[in-house]
Amino acid sequence: MPSEKNLELDELERLERARDDADGDARPGAPEPAPDEELDVPSDALGTAARLWSAASGQRWRLVVAAVCSVAYVAGSLGATAYSAGLIDHLWANIQASFAAGEPFVVSLDNAGIEILTFLGIWTSAWAAYTVQGLVMASFAERLNLRLRSQIADKLARLPLSYYDAHQPGDTISRATNDLDKISEVLQRGLLQLLMAFAMVGGAIILMSTYDLALTAIFVAFALVAGVVTKLVTSYTLKVAAARQEALGTLTGRVEEAYSGRAVIKAFGCEEASEADIAEAAERLAETSASADFVTNAIAPAIRLLMRLCQVTVGLLAGGMLVMGQISVGVFQAFFQYVMQASEPLTQLSLTVNMLQGALAAAERVFALLDEGEVVPDPERPAALPDPVEGRVAFEHVRFGYAPDRPLMRDVSLVAEPGQKVAIVGATGAGKTTLINLLMRFYEVDGGRVTLDGVDTRELTRSGLRRQFGMVLQDAWLFEGTIADNIAYGKSGATREEVEAAARAAHVDFFVRTLPHGYDTMLSNDAENISQGQRQLLTIARAMLTDPAILILDEATSSVDTRTEQAIVRAMEAIMENRTSFVIAHRLSTIVDADLILVMEKGTIIEQGTHEQLLAAGGAYAELYRSQFA
Amino acid sequence: MSEKNHDRHAAARRTRARTPRDYSKRTSARLLVSLVAPYKALLVAILLSSICDMTGMLYIPTQLSAMVNVAVNSRDMSALMGHGVAMLIAALVGSGGYITSVFLTSRLCAKVGRDLRMRVYEASLALSGSDFNAFGTGSMITRTLSDANVIQQTLLMSILMIFPVPLMCAISIWLAFSTDAVMGWVLLAVTLAIVAISVAAVAKSAPIFTRLQGFIDNMNTRLRESITGVRVIRAFGKEAHERGRLDETFNDFASNAIRVNLVFAVTDSMTFFLMNVVEATIMWVGADRVGAHAMQIGSISALVEYAMLIMMFMMMAQFAILQVPRALACLTRAAQVLDVEPEIADADAPAALAAADGAGDEVARFDHVSLRFSDADEDTLHDISFALRRGQTTAIIGNTGSGKSTIAKMLLRFNDVTGGSLTFGGVDVRRLSQEELRSRIAYVPQKAWLFSGTIAENLRHGDADATDERLWHALDVAQGGFVRELAHGLGTRVAQGGTNFSGGQRQRLAIARALVRRADLYVFDDSFSALDYKTDAALRHALAGELSDAATLIIAQRVSTIHDADQIVVLRDGEVVGLGTHDELMEGCPTYRAIADSQTRGGQTNA
Repeated sequence: MPSEKNLELDELERLERARDDADGDARPGAPEPAPDEELDVPSDALGTAARLWSAASGQRWRLVVAAVCSVAYVAGSLGATAYSAGLIDHLWANIQASFAAGEPFVVSLDNAGIEILTFLGIWTSAWAAYTVQGLVMASFAERLNLRLRSQIADKLARLPLSYYDAHQPGDTISRATNDLDKISEVLQRGLLQLLMAFAMVGGAIILMSTYDLALTAIFVAFALVAGVVTKLVTSYTLKVAAARQEALGTLTGRVEEAYSGRAVIKAFGCEEASEADIAEAAERLAETSASADFVTNAIAPAIRLLMRLCQVTVGLLAGGMLVMGQISVGVFQAFFQYVMQASEPLTQLSLTVNMLQGALAAAERVFALLDEGEVVPDPERPAALPDPVEGRVAFEHVRFGYAPDRPLMRDVSLVAEPGQKVAIVGATGAGKTTLINLLMRFYEVDGGRVTLDGVDTRELTRSGLRRQFGMVLQDAWLFEGTIADNIAYGKSGATREEVEAAARAAHVDFFVRTLPHGYDTMLSNDAENISQGQRQLLTIARAMLTDPAILILDEATSSVDTRTEQAIVRAMEAIMENRTSFVIAHRLSTIVDADLILVMEKGTIIEQGTHEQLLAAGGAYAELYRSQFA
Repeated sequence: MSEKNHDRHAAARRTRARTPRDYSKRTSARLLVSLVAPYKALLVAILLSSICDMTGMLYIPTQLSAMVNVAVNSRDMSALMGHGVAMLIAALVGSGGYITSVFLTSRLCAKVGRDLRMRVYEASLALSGSDFNAFGTGSMITRTLSDANVIQQTLLMSILMIFPVPLMCAISIWLAFSTDAVMGWVLLAVTLAIVAISVAAVAKSAPIFTRLQGFIDNMNTRLRESITGVRVIRAFGKEAHERGRLDETFNDFASNAIRVNLVFAVTDSMTFFLMNVVEATIMWVGADRVGAHAMQIGSISALVEYAMLIMMFMMMAQFAILQVPRALACLTRAAQVLDVEPEIADADAPAALAAADGAGDEVARFDHVSLRFSDADEDTLHDISFALRRGQTTAIIGNTGSGKSTIAKMLLRFNDVTGGSLTFGGVDVRRLSQEELRSRIAYVPQKAWLFSGTIAENLRHGDADATDERLWHALDVAQGGFVRELAHGLGTRVAQGGTNFSGGQRQRLAIARALVRRADLYVFDDSFSALDYKTDAALRHALAGELSDAATLIIAQRVSTIHDADQIVVLRDGEVVGLGTHDELMEGCPTYRAIADSQTRGGQTNA
């Protein structure tokens, strides 16, 4: 019966959600779990809904058709039940008439057969409406999601670096995946289900009341109790789910810690203590998840029990009426059908409302991402750089701060002549990357200007500016693809020879050749399968291949030992001939020959000059130098 | 070639060896059976409560139809009441049975999940370093936590949604036959038709569904890449390229998700249609049977209800079955960890070491030691010979990948020799138990990893019974005076990994942790690199007095750290290219001289 059909869908949805919650939690590298367990409430439900509606332009007809079909389906199924009351009575009357005549009864077209076929016909029209609704909606939510995802992809390319620096990657990923999935789940089923539930319950109650008011009142009373119970249990469900979440968090923390500190655990013989530690957390997780699973899976049957008690009560009373001849067999059975048709959607109603709220809150987060401020567009008529670019970089009275109220650089000026080696030193957090951020226009200056070959970098397109730079960053970012693809990243269409030449120059060719698939080795999972040092060497090869005018080395060699570093620096020196370079290094030994040393502290440049000048000045650099070479 | 390199080879080989399909099916099935086996009693209880559930559920329409039959035939009020009570009992037994089965199943699955997590964790402890790295920390965490979650949830769903189906079918068909044989055959035919549709639906959707999982993973990976790599992407001007890659995965996902939805919608629709036909058929045939005095009018609705229940359960089972392949993959991944034969295992009857003070002068000796990883063509360490003596400091220096750290790992038996022999206290380390061997060594790892807890708890990893004075003494030697300035001293909280301390502080705490232990051998694996030169020097001075009774092994990158060592081992590409004191090596070892020159250039020209 349709009632069972609804039950089935709801059951699936709940389990699906339970599953998503369960595995979204602990997968490392996956989006951080959104705080699903608390009731997620949208701050502007109407506005968000309106915006979703306008985002669905071109697809809205699907929703309209589906809504019409849903109502048709509900009307059809309620109508079929009403028709079945008359049908059973008709059958029974005919059977009794045959029995009275002392002959067996056989269904034929003119003997109730036509009515059975009509009954089938009514159901078939309900089925048709249901099917159309299902097919029309199959792609609605995913099409809408695809559109929003595509807008997010667009947005990611236009967001300023300040967004990326201020947000956890997991947060953004979660908006593009979990949040949109929540929306599609609700759009796919929840919304129409809500509509159907209201129509079904309302229609069933109205039809029931045409048979008998007292019985209807009993049903309504039970239904209200069921509604209240659901509401109460739902909040309890959230509580046990939160307890499980917490237990899972604890266990995850301990397991991560134990795996990262494995060598220490083994070296100090602490295996047993560590096992006990993990076992305790695992036990706690087992307990909380047993009760969470129990509660989530027991609500539906508990409420169903309530509705069954309703059925028993109604059955006894209606049975009595049947015995008394107050109602017919058909009405008795039809009434029962209504009770069953209306019971299931009722038990799911409050859960569906929660889901709807959660989806709107998710949509708000997605829209918030889409509303983030964007980078200033490139100038319409960008300035031209001389060809070839000489590589003279100058900061002229630069003023900058990450937050407008907390300025870091107040008035910084420096000049890097073509081919010069500029070294940047300073403690962690002293602002060495700030300089690079401004140079590459990852951030815009608040005042003054940065010029390349005398051209204000803001007058260039960003891509035109950045093309002049080769960059090797602290965390060696590689993507899922072959080693060759990764090295050739900055130069599409590079030949295998060019790739190999760059790899040789970066001293990584030998390593690559020892891999079973050489340059075609796939790097996966953020390239966990190769060491940090090797990853850095690959990014150096990548930078070398682009043959840039200016090189930036951001502590790139810090995971490589001194000798390898020297080898790389020599290779760099060769390739950088007549190119400007900015080097950030831990070890002063590699920068004593720099043409210009910038000493940074608290986000600004406090000293600049050559090694000799700075030593003679006896400032911060001199002290740093003495402490390293004492 | 570096060790990581070897690990990756090992990983590749392992996965290749383990992919054959039937193998993975068999192992995952075996693992599942072994996980559930301890809980047979629970399973039986679940089965019994599930029978109660099904019977109760089917008895309600049965009693309802009986009420109708009473009402239209005998009009006997007390019989009516009797059926009412029977219905009440059926409702209570049914719901009670279901709630009990949910209760027991949640417990069972939670226990299975817990056992699996613990088994994977215990197995991980037995793995050697390269075995472990072959899986990778991230993958091991997934295997221990989220894979176990998926298995737990799928098992729960299977027990609640798949197991009851045969019960439901059998009881319904039996009830139908007991009503009327013809109706029994009708219901049997209906059941077979539903099974056929379900099998077809699962066969059609399972591959698409599995592919969809892959697209979800892809979407996550690419998004993460384009967010974490934003600087590189912009530096190379590849924004459009990345956008294209993202759009591609989004499109793939959307078209696949739509296909899955369509398959579900069509299956749903087919089942619905079947329901209608079945209901009409039962009415038609049922009315005939009533007309033939074979059954009563009320039974028609009971039979319709049986058919609907079978259909509903079959649909839930379809959904649950779709989750199974994913859980099987998780089981296979867990089985991979559990099935690894640990490279390093204790001997059956481990030899005992002499008491520390009775032992001779020589603590450990590498005697023509070679190490080749199982999947490598060449030795990582080749023909290494030197001895670690009590009261002496031995230093090892060499470039990345020269095998420095591997030497420390061999002493701790994280790796075993493949040629020559390594003795500790005169006994081959392979004849010692790992526990005994490691209890004689104090180790400071390259990465100064600290555990969450207090400073005192961390230091007592070295020796659980150490007094506070010992801890303070160790801290003083390790130049960890900063602890005295902390408000809570030894009771100061340490965050996971020790991230609330600076790199240099972490290293000093890790050194102190090792010093708390009274050992025959102290191993410092590149432990001074985060210290400034001043602290480095002060620490080495303090250590010299502290460790005069033990052997010391220092693995270092800075020549200045080791130039006072009694002997220096110079490694290049896994071979010893120099052995002697600083002065001897400056004289006779070009590799050593090159390293020293590269580090002192700035110092010499400007000091």
